[in-house]
Amino acid sequence: MDFKFGEKEERLREEIRQFAGVELAGRNTIAGMEEESNDEDWEFAMSMSRKLARKGWLTMAWPKEYGGQGASYFEQHVYADEASYWGIPGTSMGVSGIGWVGLSLMLFGSDEQKKKYIPLIASGDPDGVWCTAYSEPNAGSDFANIQTRAVKSGDEYILNGQKIWTSCAHRARWCWMAVRTDASVKKKQHGISLMIVDMKSPGIIIKPILNYAGVHIFNEFFLDNVRVPVTNLVGTENRGWYHLMQSLAFERHSMAPQFFGSARRILEFIVKYARETTYNGKTLASDPIVRNKIAERAIELDTLKLFGYEITWKMSRGVIPVYEAARNKAYCDFFMQRLATTGTEIIGAYSQIDRASRWPRIMGLITRLYMMFPGLSIAAGTDEIQKNIIGQFKLGLPRAY
Amino acid sequence: MDFELSEQQNMLKTMARDFLSVECNKVKVRDLEESDTNYDPKMWSKMAELGWLGLIFPEQYGGTGADLLDLVILMEEMGRNITPGPFFATVALCAIPIMKFGNKRQQANYLTSIAEGKSIWSLAIEERHGGYEASHINCSADYDGKHFVINGEKMFVPYAHIADYFLVVCNTGKDAGGDGGLTTFIVKAKSRGVKIEKISTFAGDGQCRVRFRNVKVSRSDVLGRINSGRKVLDMIMQWGTVLKCAEVSGACQAVLEMTNNYAKERIQFDKPIGSLMVIQHQLVDMFTDIEGLQYLVYYAAWLLTQGVKADVQISIAKAKANKVYQRACIDGVKIHGAIGFTMDHDLGCYFRRIKTAEFMLGDTSLHLEKIASGLGL
Repeated sequence: MDFKFGEKEERLREEIRQFAGVELAGRNTIAGMEEESNDEDWEFAMSMSRKLARKGWLTMAWPKEYGGQGASYFEQHVYADEASYWGIPGTSMGVSGIGWVGLSLMLFGSDEQKKKYIPLIASGDPDGVWCTAYSEPNAGSDFANIQTRAVKSGDEYILNGQKIWTSCAHRARWCWMAVRTDASVKKKQHGISLMIVDMKSPGIIIKPILNYAGVHIFNEFFLDNVRVPVTNLVGTENRGWYHLMQSLAFERHSMAPQFFGSARRILEFIVKYARETTYNGKTLASDPIVRNKIAERAIELDTLKLFGYEITWKMSRGVIPVYEAARNKAYCDFFMQRLATTGTEIIGAYSQIDRASRWPRIMGLITRLYMMFPGLSIAAGTDEIQKNIIGQFKLGLPRAY
Repeated sequence: MDFELSEQQNMLKTMARDFLSVECNKVKVRDLEESDTNYDPKMWSKMAELGWLGLIFPEQYGGTGADLLDLVILMEEMGRNITPGPFFATVALCAIPIMKFGNKRQQANYLTSIAEGKSIWSLAIEERHGGYEASHINCSADYDGKHFVINGEKMFVPYAHIADYFLVVCNTGKDAGGDGGLTTFIVKAKSRGVKIEKISTFAGDGQCRVRFRNVKVSRSDVLGRINSGRKVLDMIMQWGTVLKCAEVSGACQAVLEMTNNYAKERIQFDKPIGSLMVIQHQLVDMFTDIEGLQYLVYYAAWLLTQGVKADVQISIAKAKANKVYQRACIDGVKIHGAIGFTMDHDLGCYFRRIKTAEFMLGDTSLHLEKIASGLGL
């Protein structure tokens, strides 16, 4: 057994730290949160994406032939952790492109698609920004229930229907979309296909959905006779479900190191705040209840760290994580809720106000996490769905639904 | 980064599982709980022959020179099976401190005899408070010019009724204040003035009250240095806690396995109860807790083998172990239903040991406090 990273990874960590010190001076951000909401944040995120691309970090996981660095899983892990610790924006460019579109195209895209889209993503430019449209009003956890139709007409598909909860659709140049190409199948998992949709196509209407904090992350997405060239079909027609399972696996594995990075920073801030804040003549840090709560969060933080290490190690040995990814997603959700709740209890009444006000505490980071965590726990599969996966694939229990 | 067990660790694990399933089934566990001695001398000798008692001793003292991680793997298996007897008390609580702080003579005298299965040891530390803080230790040892004279009372001393020797943690310097005046003594169980009385616990695990009345020990029976017992105590707290956590981690794995199997077999409403989402999610939470605990224990043990300061990670493992074991046993009984609540069912053997494990080497509050201090609070 061995629980340390190599010298190469530690050097990378140091480099990222230095990069963050120079590039983020004076800013306080949590990675991956809300950057698509307003124009100013988005522009800053995109400027960082380009810098990360030049550093070779943006797509370090990709093979060299696709403009990546062929970085090891351990290097990717350290990058995810450290970049999130500093809250470097733009690491994911609206998530989809870096997270799974590039990797999926390498696996089952056509040569033409690879040539056209992969370099755009790797450049870190706005033309490489993607959104992903899976969910529909009647296809959430029961994702195979999608109804958006694609009917072939000559060398085009004609798309009609509605998508929803599409994050970053208002910033994206391209959409990675799941559609129904065959409605006559008995099993609803069959008859689904994956397509690349140009967001400038006529017939697309994007309507913002504000979350309860007033932040614009996701959207409604209407398709009215949208024409998509047949060359934009990804992989095999009607086999989209199986391609998607692979894409979803890419989505889940980096979650633990990313959230671990953010969470360890937040916990450090909470400790500092508790030491420096006095109440009735005593510091918060001297209150046994505060001490206990923070210690509990430290236990969860270390647990998450090791779950992250384990999955990275398994992937380095060629294992495709199934239950492990579900476990880490569910554990992140659980821990995020605990950390955010503890944080708000410690900053007290100030947890009602955001960073834009005159009186934010801990730069509004706790408040933002608190307002975000329920949404994050639903995105990419709810806790309940993750637990079903663990029950079925790790504990060997009969399907519950 | 490597989560894999070494070839030697895998062998040890398989050997331990095979040996214990034959030598120590649950009928035997229950018999030993009821017996006077609470251990089986034949099994003890066999464990010595297998090299378990001296597993991490140097070869010159009859050991095999294995490291803490190897012992963690063995403890995990012993916990999974439930293995009544003075192994933890002898090896984790006494032999390891002798290895670390004993002089050449003490090591030669005692370690070889432990490795051969010829002597049983226990640690006398807790008192009426039942705590592990230096300030909780009132048992005194006053120097009369020739001997140290021990007076006081120790509680929850595991397997004292069958022990040959004790390590006794005494307060030798009230004037020095707090931590300055602790000393650890090696005391023969048969010494004059030692009185041992078994405490009747649910686990039937041979915990005792030991009273010392004018018990004389010589200067040469000090372990480490006079008034530096805090160091010895810290070391016992570190290594002993990791090993106790490994035992608990193994026990949790057994509880999960038993409960998960039952959920697949038990039919109600014409289907296995394990197909009901509410049961599934309880099992999944149990699983995630237990896998997390296992990794936290390995991590803390690994840090110790690297010689890195690991106090916070050790306390993290213990606080987690306390909670996870209790929750696994309670949910395990609930999922089993009434059958899990009976003397005949094996689950009860694990349930009866929750509190023994929880209060051994520091309860949850103590470890949460250590974590908080370690974080700088």
